[in-house]
Amino acid sequence: MSTEAIAAEKPKRNYNALFGLTLLALLILLWVILSVATQSFASGNNISNLLRQGSMIAILAVGQTFVIITGGIDLSVGAVVGFATVIAAMLINAGVPVFLAILITLLVGVAIGLFHGFGIVKMGLPPFIITLATLTSLRGIGLLMTNGNSISINNDAFQEFSRNSFVGVPNLFWMVILVGIPAYIFLHHSRWGRYLYSVGSNAEASRLSGVNVQRTIYMAYTLSGLCAAFVGVLLASRIGIGNPTQAEGWELQAIASSVIGGTSLFGAVGSVHGPLLGAFILATINNGANLLNVNAFWQRIITGVLIIVIVYFDGLRRRGK
Amino acid sequence: MTSTAQELHPAPTLEPGRTILELKGLEKRYPGTHALKPVDLAFKSGEIHAIVGENGAGKSTLIKLLTGVMPRTSGDVIWEGKSEALATPHEAMALGINAVHQEVVLCRHLTVAANMFLGEENSRYGILQQRAMVKDAQKIIDDLGFDLPAHVVLGDLTIGQQQLIAAARATVRGTKFLIFDEPTAYLTRKEADQLFKLIRRLKGEGVTIIYISHRMEEVFELADRVSVLRDGTLVGTRNIAETNDAELVKMMINRSIEQVYHKEHFTPGAMIVEARNLSGKGFENVSMSVRAGEIVGLYGLIGAGRSEFVTTLYGRHRKSAGQILWEGKPVQVNSEHDAIRLGMALAPESRRDQGLCLNLPVGLNLNLPIYKRISSNMLISGAKEKAEADRQIAGLRIKTPTRSALASSLSGGNQQKIVIGKWLAHGAKLFIFDEPTVGVDVGTKAEIYRLFGALLSKGAGIILISSYLPEVYELADTLHVFRRGKLVATHGFRTANHEDILTQALAEKQEKLGGQK
Repeated sequence: MSTEAIAAEKPKRNYNALFGLTLLALLILLWVILSVATQSFASGNNISNLLRQGSMIAILAVGQTFVIITGGIDLSVGAVVGFATVIAAMLINAGVPVFLAILITLLVGVAIGLFHGFGIVKMGLPPFIITLATLTSLRGIGLLMTNGNSISINNDAFQEFSRNSFVGVPNLFWMVILVGIPAYIFLHHSRWGRYLYSVGSNAEASRLSGVNVQRTIYMAYTLSGLCAAFVGVLLASRIGIGNPTQAEGWELQAIASSVIGGTSLFGAVGSVHGPLLGAFILATINNGANLLNVNAFWQRIITGVLIIVIVYFDGLRRRGK
Repeated sequence: MTSTAQELHPAPTLEPGRTILELKGLEKRYPGTHALKPVDLAFKSGEIHAIVGENGAGKSTLIKLLTGVMPRTSGDVIWEGKSEALATPHEAMALGINAVHQEVVLCRHLTVAANMFLGEENSRYGILQQRAMVKDAQKIIDDLGFDLPAHVVLGDLTIGQQQLIAAARATVRGTKFLIFDEPTAYLTRKEADQLFKLIRRLKGEGVTIIYISHRMEEVFELADRVSVLRDGTLVGTRNIAETNDAELVKMMINRSIEQVYHKEHFTPGAMIVEARNLSGKGFENVSMSVRAGEIVGLYGLIGAGRSEFVTTLYGRHRKSAGQILWEGKPVQVNSEHDAIRLGMALAPESRRDQGLCLNLPVGLNLNLPIYKRISSNMLISGAKEKAEADRQIAGLRIKTPTRSALASSLSGGNQQKIVIGKWLAHGAKLFIFDEPTVGVDVGTKAEIYRLFGALLSKGAGIILISSYLPEVYELADTLHVFRRGKLVATHGFRTANHEDILTQALAEKQEKLGGQK
């Protein structure tokens, strides 16, 4: 990361980068501890598995972060993932070329995001409400479309994609990079990124300064919907079925990853690398707990405690500044 | 608490003229700055003690120390002969030290009565006695002579009225020492008069009043003594009868008063904007125009329709009738975006609510209107972003450690420079300044006025809205007076006297204009 090019935000940036480093240190520390404590953690197989587990939440968290920076929230992303698996499965089974099926699924995600923007900007609904409404109705629509059944996808190539690796790294993790780099440039080096921050900080001041606030909000939710639909495609590939009840609670994991990564729920504070690290920290904890034979119920409790601890220390540091 | 208003104003227990609070070598250091150098000062009961000084002179620091918001670095605070730690706001309140702040710090969603008794609710068996509280609150308000209802939601009142409620609230808490920090910044003249009445009455009851204001005429109208701070040092204390405007300003800034209102005259050039019979929410049938090189002043009370008129001109609100001409051609201004594209710039009234992204860096705030220009293909040119921000900070003399410091960390005057400064690089032709110097010190005011001259010399036109008559009077080439949504009078540069203009702004109400020079 070039600090020259982004100098206008330097201290905040350095500070974010520093926070990024402490998160990275925490992640590495977890890995070292788990490598020592268990025999299987450091195995290539398990690491690949871990990267696969974390990748999908990581991509969701990036989209979620765009929304949270504007001061909003997107509760629908888990439902969008499930719905997207259904769309992708139906299209592929209907003989639509995989490439086109993916494209249409992504467009469905965009449409859902636009709908959220419409509800917030034109109908004046709070983001929490409109995305909560979509969360429940999308699951219902998906269940209607499938009659409550799972749709098995009859396309081996499509399914193999998520299981394969490229130069030793799982394809799913490459997808994180594919999303992460443009997202980083968008958020930190484009004026649209700046507008996300300014709208989250003070929408009225931004509007009077000539920022198109409505378009900025549309954009944030559209990107979140797009990321969610993309994750839906990846999930369909990974599990080989379309099922609207998949990805239950993923929206909360995405929000948690984002917040662990330093995003402020009050808006105007956040980055791309933070949520990515947050997602892999959560994945590591779950993975490690499995290997250590920790009761699955405990894993949930540990995750909750960890969210409180990390965000508390983040808050302390902020106030200290 | 079922007490009557009389009981809420305890009879004076303090003999007037006795020293109630004494500061001995009071000092505050922050890492890197010496915010308040050792101050020795004694306050007497029943006096109105004004404190004046530029932004950043140490007034806020002094208040924060007195109200226990921050601990002092060294020195003694002696309250009624006893040394006090004054480490928490609670401690200060327990002694009877209260403050009324410039910005209203109350709950906008609760009723006036609920706010009056916040923290001291009247309840029986855990059930709030709402009707009794409204009745008590109304009695207090009536008693103070404020014409305001106690049962309405606070947020439905104007900012000025809310400020009066905040002052009334402070009087019911057994206050012996009350600090007013720029209380009239958002008040109309009538509201200010009501507030002054309240202050004089408290003084009569033996309460010590600290009165902080940038408005000299208020200081002379109210205060018994005045202390001047400059750069964290107490420059001196004067009896009000033994000093004058010129001396105080000189003590504050080492500069003469004539240099504050810096007016440059230019020959008006081409027509920039013209409003023909424009009507909208809050104003009707307003016609006026602005030419290059001209300052058009809009004077009137808050709520007279001035701000509504300019925000409609700027596309923030819809017009209901009339026409806008830009450089002679009829135009549609349907959004701020349209206005900015034409070449308008608006520095809004409230910098916190409308002007700044407080938790973002100074540089981002300055560059917000021009990101399109400093980007190519969506990507921001880091070098240009940096250069533009630094150029503005240097040109406007914004006091900030770096361009990446958060806007919230700057003083009010420097924040205001950002609100104004962000438009300079944008190359607008018409600048609309809505109350540009509210809560800004004399030095910064002078800088802002000088900036007006620089803009005019480049062929821009300015609309200047102010509730502070001397400001529009000394600066505007054309002065329009608004009253109740209508443009009621127009004057040239200094062609009318203050009394006439005030009468036009207030009209049939026959206001007493005491104190306004």
